[in-house]
Amino acid sequence: MSVVRELRETIPNKGLIKGDSKVIRPEDVLKLTKISDAYLCEPDANIYEIDFTRFKIRDLESGAVLFEIAKPVHDNLKDGGDKTDNDEIVDHNSGRFVRYQFTPQFLKLKTVGATVEFTVGSKPVNGFRMIERHFFRDKLLKTFDFDFGFCLPFSRNTCEHIYEFPALPAQLVNEMTAHPFETRSDSFYFVDDCLIMHNKADYAYNGGTV
Amino acid sequence: MGFLTVLKKMKQKEKEMRILMLGLDNAGKTTILKRFNGEPINTISPTLGFNIKTLEHRGYKLNMWDVGGQKSLRSYWRNYFECTDGLIWVVDSADKRRLEDCKKELFVLLQEERLSGATLLIFANKQDLPGACSKEELRDILDLDSIKTHHWKIISCSAVTGENLLEGMDWIIDDIAARIFTLD
Repeated sequence: MSVVRELRETIPNKGLIKGDSKVIRPEDVLKLTKISDAYLCEPDANIYEIDFTRFKIRDLESGAVLFEIAKPVHDNLKDGGDKTDNDEIVDHNSGRFVRYQFTPQFLKLKTVGATVEFTVGSKPVNGFRMIERHFFRDKLLKTFDFDFGFCLPFSRNTCEHIYEFPALPAQLVNEMTAHPFETRSDSFYFVDDCLIMHNKADYAYNGGTV
Repeated sequence: MGFLTVLKKMKQKEKEMRILMLGLDNAGKTTILKRFNGEPINTISPTLGFNIKTLEHRGYKLNMWDVGGQKSLRSYWRNYFECTDGLIWVVDSADKRRLEDCKKELFVLLQEERLSGATLLIFANKQDLPGACSKEELRDILDLDSIKTHHWKIISCSAVTGENLLEGMDWIIDDIAARIFTLD
């Protein structure tokens, strides 16, 4: 399955829900009924230097890795933190946007594991929480809501959510395949209930058919 | 309805369990986690933080936490005790030199109030290595019979061959389920 990753810097970097100075809380994003039009925080809201270093999607049935993208290992980690498996690095970009392009077979998978890896800067992080919302147009497909809690300073951490792919009606699958990049996700990251990072992705499922 | 009953009911609804995996560095915690979840185990490096897996197993939603075991990281373990239903203590059965250290760290954990309700599984890992202590030997060396505060069991396993990993997980899940999800 092929994946195309590119940056899209056209998404406005403002447009908070109401008033630019409002702190975004988890309850604010859980109320959203569609993908947000803009990033809901500035890149510099990430005062903890949390850095996403790897995304991976695998099929649990076959064991196949369907998608993997990793950043080079930083040298600001403690001794012994060197990864030995960084030969799959394909991109150095740390953009806030990822574009995934899958073949239609992707929507037929049963069990999928989605891994993120992230590093933390010099400050310990308390109450780290991720909320990820996947939409096709205005239809909510899935919400992930996970509390990481505490993260060690200078740590490298991974989290894999293994889940049954939601059983989607055939009609919806056809629509999603026919309308590339109208399936989108917002990933919101909170520390102590304040939004500190916001990443976006969009998805196409027509790979190999164009 | 008491507070405990309310808590039980909340957890029962989601059938969620939080399992914390600890042990000295190089005990094989990450390898066990990866092996149990069908991931390759040929490129594992020391954990300088945590590895989490959330998965469905036998109708339960498991949150498995593997936290790095290096000496400098152990003082951070306490940040992960809250809401733990099961503790898996992983032992490198072939590292005889550090079994005293291993015992000491385990007994420190068992005094921790926030872990007092947790089921304890001891994985006698690395049984594939020559010279590995048997679970009977470890039971003596680690003085496990003196543990009266927790439900516990020791199971010999090998993360490399996969031997007994499922058996261990099933035991801890059954024990937690019997405590948490069975209402009087």
